[in-house]
Amino acid sequence: MKKIFALLMICSLVLLTGCGGGDGDKKADDDAGKIKLGMITRLNASEENFSVFMKKIEETLDVKIASHTPVFFDRLTQMQAALQSEQIDEISTYRSVARYMIAKDPQFQVLKDHSLEFIDSFCFALREDDTELKDSLNMVIKEMQADGTLDRLTKEYIIDINAESEPPVVELPHFNSAQTIKVAVTGDLPPLDYVSADGKPAGFNTAVLAEIGNRMLKNIELVEIDSGARAAALTSKQADVIFWAIVPVSEIIPQDSDKPKGVTLTEPYYKDKIVHMIFKPEETK
Amino acid sequence: MEFTELIYKIFIKDSGWLTILNGLWVTVQISALSLLFGTLLGSLMCFFRMSKFKPLKIFAQIYISIIRGSPVLMLLMLLFYGVFARTGINPLLVAVITFSMHTAAHVAELLRSALMALDKGQLEAARTLGFSEFQAFKLVTLPQLARIAKPVYQSTVVNLIQWTSVVGYVTITDLTRVINNIASRTMQPIITITGGMIIYLALSYFIYGIFHLTDKKIR
Repeated sequence: MKKIFALLMICSLVLLTGCGGGDGDKKADDDAGKIKLGMITRLNASEENFSVFMKKIEETLDVKIASHTPVFFDRLTQMQAALQSEQIDEISTYRSVARYMIAKDPQFQVLKDHSLEFIDSFCFALREDDTELKDSLNMVIKEMQADGTLDRLTKEYIIDINAESEPPVVELPHFNSAQTIKVAVTGDLPPLDYVSADGKPAGFNTAVLAEIGNRMLKNIELVEIDSGARAAALTSKQADVIFWAIVPVSEIIPQDSDKPKGVTLTEPYYKDKIVHMIFKPEETK
Repeated sequence: MEFTELIYKIFIKDSGWLTILNGLWVTVQISALSLLFGTLLGSLMCFFRMSKFKPLKIFAQIYISIIRGSPVLMLLMLLFYGVFARTGINPLLVAVITFSMHTAAHVAELLRSALMALDKGQLEAARTLGFSEFQAFKLVTLPQLARIAKPVYQSTVVNLIQWTSVVGYVTITDLTRVINNIASRTMQPIITITGGMIIYLALSYFIYGIFHLTDKKIR
């Protein structure tokens, strides 16, 4: 009996490993020659869903996405390290982030000729039942767009970035006995969201929040959190607001395609183009 | 840019070193408190696990197998975003509770294995010679238990420090998070992570050093 059982176990192991190996080889063959493209993991879109999106886009818009194999990362720095160590060939990020990276390290370059030309919209994500906060945020965002505040902050915190200087320090408002809005920041998307040398959250998003707090007469409390825990922080009420990027809207991809249930989005306060970057190590003389 | 200039920019400029020290202090606080409470709870769990009273024994068995069999990050997120979500409890406290629970399960098992390795005859001999139960434990069991359990306990302490590197998921800025923040800001991930690793390594060797000193004292 024992021998039969052992034989069955060996057969199943051989079958399992054999099947796995075959699939792996096939996948490796499929991916051979493709450009490995690093991307930040979307909050609610699995890699499978993402591949379906990409396929639909390719079929509808006649672009050459099939030449890329997406590789997902939780943090920008992980993606950057993978690019530097040639684990991936290109990274997909925002133009503002690309400019910051080049300012810090000129070995990074933006790839001018790539097939994807998408623009993401940045907004805030809140719990669906926070309608009052959503309405207030939408009102303030529209005001800031109309009076040019958002353009001024964009210039100050994104466009004027250079190799030597850091963006100006942001002072968050404080109103005695006013309501406090807890906002989760990851500090992983400079110059939009990063943590300064003195350990305080900084960047464009923080500046926008400070302005919003001043206009709404509410305190803003920033809580640093890892990217993967943002949805949990929002739904468990450990944070009231998280930052969100709306994927390009089209007939193929609806605006809320990667939005988790129970989450609502505000009006966008900033838009940015997605670019591809490569790393060119300095040639030794 | 020269290497030394780069190091200065990453780790020292604009009080960067102070931010790193603050992160290190958070890591040390969580580790030290979790070690203290984890050791106490672990001793209790070991007592339960070896108890002749079945319900206590089963409770300890279930506790140890669940905690040791699940990743500490899952437990941390479950407690912070689930159990304590609406209580407004300080995230540092949740981290200490989580890592104490986790350490307790490991300490309970290492103490049990050390106790099982002891020669029961010695305890019986001590009792025959007129030692009370407490005296026999204090003078015969405890010194041997400490000697046997020490190497594994030392590893548990070092592992605990490394486990705490996931607290960034519950809004705590510890050493790992500070290192990640610096890497994002400076766009120098490899050098920054290497620096972070060296700090963790130094902390581990500091622990090994303390254990080594106590070894000398015993001799």
